Amino acid sequence: MRRGVPAALVLLALLLFAGCAPAPPPGSRPAAGLPGYGGRFVYPLRGEPHGLNFVSDGDVLSSQVETLVGDSLVDLDVHLKVVPRLASSWETSTDGRTLTFHLRPGVRFHDGVPLTSADVLYTYERLIDPKSRAIGRLDGFLPIEKVLAPDPLTVKVLYRSAYAPALIAWDVPILPRHLYEKEEFLSSPHNRAPIGSGPFLFSSWEPGQRIVLRANPDYWGGRPRLDTIVFQIIPSQETTLQALLAGEIDWSTLTPMQGQAQATGAAFERRFRILRCEALWFYYIAFRGDGSNPFFADPVVRRAVSLALDRAGYVRSILHGLGRPASSPFHPAVGGGDPDLPALPYDPGTAASLLDAAGWRIDRASGLRARGGTPFRFTLLVFGGEPAQTQFSQVAQESLRRLGIEMAIEKLDWPTLWSRLQKGEYQAAFSGISPGADPDALFSMFHSSQIKGGQNYAAFRDASIDAWFEAARRTLEERERRALYQRIDRRLAELQPYAFLFIPTLQGALSRRIGNAEISPRGLLSFYPGGAALYAEDGDGS
Amino acid sequence: MTSFLLRRLLAAVPTLVGITALAFAILNLLPDDPLIAWSPGGATASAEALARLRAELRVDHGPVERYLDWGLALTRGDLGTSLRDGRPVGRVLADALPWTVLLNLCALVMIYALAVPFGLLGASAPGSSLDRLGSRVLLAVYALPSFAAALLLQEFVAVRLGWLPLQGVVGRQAGSETAGLLSHALDLARHLVLPTLCLALAGWAFVARYSRAACRSVSGREFLAVARAKGLSRSRAYYHVAANAAVPLITLLAGIVPSLVGGSLIVEQAFSWPGLGRLYVASIEGRDYPVVLGLTLLGALLVLAGQLLADLLYLLVDPRLRDELLMDGLDA
Repeated sequence: MRRGVPAALVLLALLLFAGCAPAPPPGSRPAAGLPGYGGRFVYPLRGEPHGLNFVSDGDVLSSQVETLVGDSLVDLDVHLKVVPRLASSWETSTDGRTLTFHLRPGVRFHDGVPLTSADVLYTYERLIDPKSRAIGRLDGFLPIEKVLAPDPLTVKVLYRSAYAPALIAWDVPILPRHLYEKEEFLSSPHNRAPIGSGPFLFSSWEPGQRIVLRANPDYWGGRPRLDTIVFQIIPSQETTLQALLAGEIDWSTLTPMQGQAQATGAAFERRFRILRCEALWFYYIAFRGDGSNPFFADPVVRRAVSLALDRAGYVRSILHGLGRPASSPFHPAVGGGDPDLPALPYDPGTAASLLDAAGWRIDRASGLRARGGTPFRFTLLVFGGEPAQTQFSQVAQESLRRLGIEMAIEKLDWPTLWSRLQKGEYQAAFSGISPGADPDALFSMFHSSQIKGGQNYAAFRDASIDAWFEAARRTLEERERRALYQRIDRRLAELQPYAFLFIPTLQGALSRRIGNAEISPRGLLSFYPGGAALYAEDGDGS
Repeated sequence: MTSFLLRRLLAAVPTLVGITALAFAILNLLPDDPLIAWSPGGATASAEALARLRAELRVDHGPVERYLDWGLALTRGDLGTSLRDGRPVGRVLADALPWTVLLNLCALVMIYALAVPFGLLGASAPGSSLDRLGSRVLLAVYALPSFAAALLLQEFVAVRLGWLPLQGVVGRQAGSETAGLLSHALDLARHLVLPTLCLALAGWAFVARYSRAACRSVSGREFLAVARAKGLSRSRAYYHVAANAAVPLITLLAGIVPSLVGGSLIVEQAFSWPGLGRLYVASIEGRDYPVVLGLTLLGALLVLAGQLLADLLYLLVDPRLRDELLMDGLDA
């Protein structure tokens, strides 16, 4: 159940960040009791996780805790590459319909009960049961025909047809069947005091305050070096940075403004290390292209508006350079896009002539473009909870005004914005999305089957895009699959159903007390081994 | 007395119904989707996945029917279940309530403990330079928005001076098994100082001005001059001034409780205080309707309780009101 991330855009953006360097694999570490073990790491969470049921609670806050308490078959490393976790190996059948996992032997849940293929099967059954209300993690499991557990260490997954992004879906932590099957799934006490097989044991959850985890001394990958990880719930970004400065926590994300004004100077640098990374996140403008407005059903108009946006200028002025202009929805960290496709330039001249050609000419009386008596006047919806988003909209408003287009800005809270996007009750909207670690995740944004009730907010419908996305999903051969996505990329650049704008750079400051930290585009803790690899300089070897 | 209380309590019922019905109506007017409480945030999810969830959560009833259902369950003491975390709303509120009550009681004590002497001092020498300076300081404090006050307090007291913890309710090392009860209490007290101060600031100026005015209006009255002329000592005179000036201060109490509860929204957010104010913000953002309704009901109850308390205090300090009540009782 429960997954509404309230101010999701800010939230996700602020949770992520940074540097990216390889980590030693777990399992190669020495035993406890040696120097370098011990100490605590206090990490701020922007809000209270909904719960810690690995299947039902897949929101970004819950996941950060769950990935330390639970263990998934596979996981993503700091570069978003799939790495083994509970599954020591796997193979895909030649027809691509069967995925076989071989589980690591000797793995036990925190209560001592062995983890077997039956637990994997159980986790799958709960995921696809609508009563579990799983959503964020569900999509990769819907194409499965059935899951078999021929022996305790083997899991066979049969797909209805070849399914290329199959593996990555299995980053869901495995639930202990023996505990859950006795209880009402959604109201089980384990949803707030989880038992998994991960590197940390759940210790306590004080509502509204903090969640405390302790090192699992018997972890199959070796005891983590930290004794304790505290997730301290701090709702305000200002307070988070102040708490870092006061030494109450060890990590804080920094807004571009905070990075410039507060996180500088020799005293700061002595105590903290700044980490930066391009986030797995995009900002875009969606154009409702279903003909419900007189402007955006025409790809030429969309392209013109997109060309009139000064992406590099926004990154410079609003993000203080902490971002990368991007006009393709294929994230550089995920890949898939056409590397030879030039980024869309800032070209108001071409934009003007495109609009002229499409019949939107400047009306002398009003100074606005109009066609057949309809003035080019539309409303952009924007999430009002993050100043940078409002600022961006205002600068874009000015760019369009110079082109003879009047754009009004309507600021909304996230739930309202989300439901208006869902219902298609808008003309254009500025928003953001985390594209997922496989290019297939973009299916939800562009395939025509996703218009009604899905996330194809632009109501974009293109037969070749549909066909290429479907083919890429079935294509296991890597080069062939890449070629399909490159075609998609080129066609999207031409049709501009959304104007992709930029990827924010996420930055944060980490206490120098904490070592071995790496940052993935999904965050400080949202990869493997992540928090399991950290150590504290003042760890006392206890 | 009992009938007075009973009448007061009965009069509160329509108010509560009105407040919750209004809150329910406003929530239903919001143009959104019950799915938002589970929405995948910024992540991608397919139409199939969303449709399954929609079917699972289907709300077939209209708003009026849902309000009646909610009210009916309420009469059985059932506040419903949080959409966000699946716990009973009563549990969710019970976790947060003590923190807000603690914070607000401390703020209330701090307000009155500082403001009343300040007001008396000002009233004893009206127009003096001390009085004028005091007024200006109070005005400045009153004008300072609490989010700014919170940042300033955090920056200077917690970060620069390092005297007090900056946020939360337990210290970094607290919660360890070795810490005794006393050290826990001390730790909590240290965490209380800044949010209490921040919450008290605005009310402080308000009450000080009010008590100064109340004392002045009383101290100018003839009965005091007569009493003094008859040989009443200065300290006894202060007592009579205070007793008479208390009436408007009690009126103020009824008004200040709701404003404190309102102020908790900002202060709790800024200081990561795990109380009702923060829960309110999070529940509205996450469209957790059952929790929002529960909080609205609880807030209304607190306000009404504040008023009832004020009524009872009137009776305590003002013999005239007691007499009136007695007459009412005889009439009835």
